[in-house]
Formats: sequence, C-alpha cells, structure tokens
Amino acid sequence: MVKVTLAGENSILIYFGDKIDARLPKNIANFANALKIEFSELIIDLTPAYTSLLVSYDLGKTNYLKFAADIERLLSGFDFSSAVERSELIHIPVYYGFETGLDLERLLAEKELTLEAFIDIHSSQEYLVHAIGFSPVFAFLAEVDSRIQAPRLATPRIKIPAGSVGIADSQTAIYPTDSSGGWNIIGRTLLDLSLNNPDNLNKFKTGDRVKFYPITRDEYIKYGGGL
Amino acid sequence: MSFKVIKPGFLTTVQDYGRTTHGAHGMSQSGVMDEHAFCWANHLLENDFNDAVLEITFGGVELEALDDAVISVCGADLDFKINDQAALIWHSVKVNQGDVLSWALPKRGIRTYLAVKGGFKTPILFDSRSVNLRENIGSKLAENDILDCESSSLELDHFVAPQYIPNYNQDIVLRLLPSYQYAEFSEAQRALFFNQSYQITNANDRTGCRLDGAPIALEQEKMISEGMSYGSVEIATNGLPIILLKDAPTIGGYPKIGTVFSLDLAKLAQKQPQTKLKFELMDIHQAQKQRLKFNQFFQISPN
Repeated sequence: MVKVTLAGENSILIYFGDKIDARLPKNIANFANALKIEFSELIIDLTPAYTSLLVSYDLGKTNYLKFAADIERLLSGFDFSSAVERSELIHIPVYYGFETGLDLERLLAEKELTLEAFIDIHSSQEYLVHAIGFSPVFAFLAEVDSRIQAPRLATPRIKIPAGSVGIADSQTAIYPTDSSGGWNIIGRTLLDLSLNNPDNLNKFKTGDRVKFYPITRDEYIKYGGGL
Repeated sequence: MSFKVIKPGFLTTVQDYGRTTHGAHGMSQSGVMDEHAFCWANHLLENDFNDAVLEITFGGVELEALDDAVISVCGADLDFKINDQAALIWHSVKVNQGDVLSWALPKRGIRTYLAVKGGFKTPILFDSRSVNLRENIGSKLAENDILDCESSSLELDHFVAPQYIPNYNQDIVLRLLPSYQYAEFSEAQRALFFNQSYQITNANDRTGCRLDGAPIALEQEKMISEGMSYGSVEIATNGLPIILLKDAPTIGGYPKIGTVFSLDLAKLAQKQPQTKLKFELMDIHQAQKQRLKFNQFFQISPN
C-alpha cells in the first residue's frame, strides 16, 4: 500500500505501508534518497517515521498537484531494494541496576524473570531505528521481545534522567536529555546523547540498528556514569 | 550596537523564521509564532526575511539601548514606551544611546516583535537562531543579558499602512486544509467539528494550542506515529483538538483532521485563553496562492 496525501500547505505525506514492518525504514530511506537526488531544488525537509515520509517543499518552485504527481511518478516502478542506504550498527553500554532502572524491580516481579534473564533478553538482540522524534536524538527502537514488553506508565514521570533506557510496549529507547516521560525505565547509559555535543544530531538515523550491552556498576561509575 | 536587558519579561526569546531542515533529527521547526508581524518588523528595516528578532510574550520587558539604533516593533500592543513615553508600533523608530524601551502588559494581542537593523546576532544553533525551550536549544532572556546587533546609522521612515495592521480583537476563523486523516472522520464528526465554536484553553503555548468544546467521537484513537506539519490539528483521546505549533514534536500518533493555513496561525498567535474560534474548510490551491503572494511580498525563500 503506497499512498500520497496532503499534509499541509507546503507538505505531502507518503505512506509506504500500513503496518510497522522491519523492511520499511530501509525502503523509506532509499526513496527519500532518490527524492533528494531527483528534486533537490524543491525539497526543504524530509521526516521519515515508521511507515511514512513527510516531505516539505518550496512553494515558490512547485505546487501541490504538480509535486504530488512528480512523487507518484517516482514511486511507480521504484525499486525499493535498488540502492541500500548506509546503515550502521550502534553499540550502547547500559548499566541495568535498580539505582538506574527505576522500574526494573517491578518488571522483574511482573515478568517473573531474574535480573540476569531480563538483561539477557533486552541486550541480546539488534533493534531497528523506526523513527526519530519526541525530541532530538530520541530514537524509537523495535521490536522488544514479548517476554519483557510493558505498557507506558499510567502517570508519566516528571523527570527521567538523561541516558535512561526505557520500554513502552514493543519499543525501547534512550532519553537523550532529562525529560518527562512515561516509559518503563530499565537502566541507564553513560553516553552523552545530548546536543551539548552537536555531533549527536547524527547519532541515529532511521534504518540504523542498535545493540545494547550490559556493563557492571563499577564500569558504569568508572567511566563517569552518575547514580 | 547592543541592548542590555533590565527586565526579561514573562517569556521573551530570540526567534527567526525557524529551523526548517531538521525534521529527520526530531527537531522542531521553532521560529516566530506570528509570521505576519515578524515579517513586517523586518521589512520595515529592509532586513533579510530571516533576521532574528525578539519575540516578547505578554510584556514585562525593559531594555536599555547601549548605542544609537534603528528598530521596529510590530505585533501586539503591549504598551510599548521609550523613556516612559508612548512610542509607535508598526513603524521604524530611531532610538538613542541610554534610551529605555519597555513593554508593560498586553492591551491588544499577546506577542510583539522587536526587530533591529541586521537582526540580533545570537549564536546560530543547527542553522537557526530560534530558541526552543522544550529542546534546550538556547534560553529565554535573563536580566543583564546583552543582545548584540550591528551598528547602523540608517535613517528610515517606514511604516505599515493602516489597512495591513490586523485588529487582534477580531474573532477568528481558522481555515483548515483537508489533510492527513480528514477523509477518515465520518461526515457527522466533521459537521460537529466545523459547526461548533471552540474555546482556547490555558494550555496554549509555543508547542500547541488545546481547544475546549464538544468532543468528537473517535473510531480509531491511536495510529502509527507520523510526521506532523505546522498547524496540523490532532484530535486527542478525549475527542478535543490540539493545534500543533512551532515548538511541537516532529512526529505523533493521534489522528489529524486537517491542517490550519499558516497565515491564520499568525492570528491565533495573538489570542488569549478563553477566546472562541471556529474552523472552516480551505482548498489547497487557495492556500498556496495566498501563501505564495505573502512569500513573494516579503521575499521569503525557505530554501
């Protein structure tokens, strides 16, 4: 199901599917690339997310009807597997402990898992970046193993410390800065993902893969992690 | 040339046209809330359309000019004074070293724009000078801040013709493009949406404007998150609309009934909580024609 629809007075939304699918981020990245090459003069910004791509364009150079038709034309017959966007595997060290994993104790009881088993499940698989949003550098990663999935908290926390790793249903993510939020917090990374380091803006892109690896409390503190 | 901040006010930030090219990084568009007043403020000084201004919300601000300067103030009437004397808005104004510029409180509208020749020279962060407090990009004005700008001995006598100065007390109708999930709302739901008067709630800030009214029944409450355009109107789980504004997150998962025309959002930026408003449908061709005319007049080139 590919569909082109109106989003705003200078934006168009393209749907590449109607279900979250691990193949879509790469397909969308490939198409976004082709769009950038073909219409570099017209495009202002591209926002990929899960199943869609938001395209904003310069009204001074084209209009809705014309550009929607251009996009349709490029879509029809587009070989989504043609060029493969550069995708990276990013490793994130996490201290999974009760001081940093604010919801860990409760989750272990609910899921009837030992800490070791929980850590093993969360850190043994590769996650795919499906979208960046909520705030800069916040990457939505999926898919979390069903044994450790948990719904968002009924009442979001006012303050979650920067670096916290959370789970919400089938997704996991890292909070790049202190912020409010309702995800179940299971640990914390000592990596600085904030924009204090401007290079972090490009830390994750949709289609990248992320793997967490557990570190001990001593390692976490030794390398500058705060409790 | 510079200004010293004596009183920073309730919410005063440096803004420009916005951070329009970082959607893929999850970064908000940011930028001025009232593009109409902002564009006039720069236009009166023969500035570039994107030059940074001060967005003063509600007032409570006092600045001291540390050198001579030419400025303009466009937007809300916040009781603008120079050395305690009422001063002109929608007009270029010469200020002298030592002058104290003040904005006390809102008389008509809530946001006003102070432009200086060449714009304020705060740091460019991710291609824009716009402050975004939600994203910790820049900060709001604080006491004793120094705001730098270029020196200018320019003599200007520019003003906005009265017919182009909006009456911010007028009722507003927000024109809505039938975008996103518009077609998925039933005819009865759409009729309920367009036929009622909504009221602006206290939850009305740079991120979004929540409205109160009769809730719309939703068949589908949650969907897969997708990119959100400036002005798109989410229908939240409680059936009430949220209009997404300049500091809104880039993606979201509520169904959207449409997208408000940008020049109507400029009018919305001047409205207090409790104000009533209605929506009416607008055609994309009309919207693009009107916005293009605006862009051409103010020489806006978003790329």
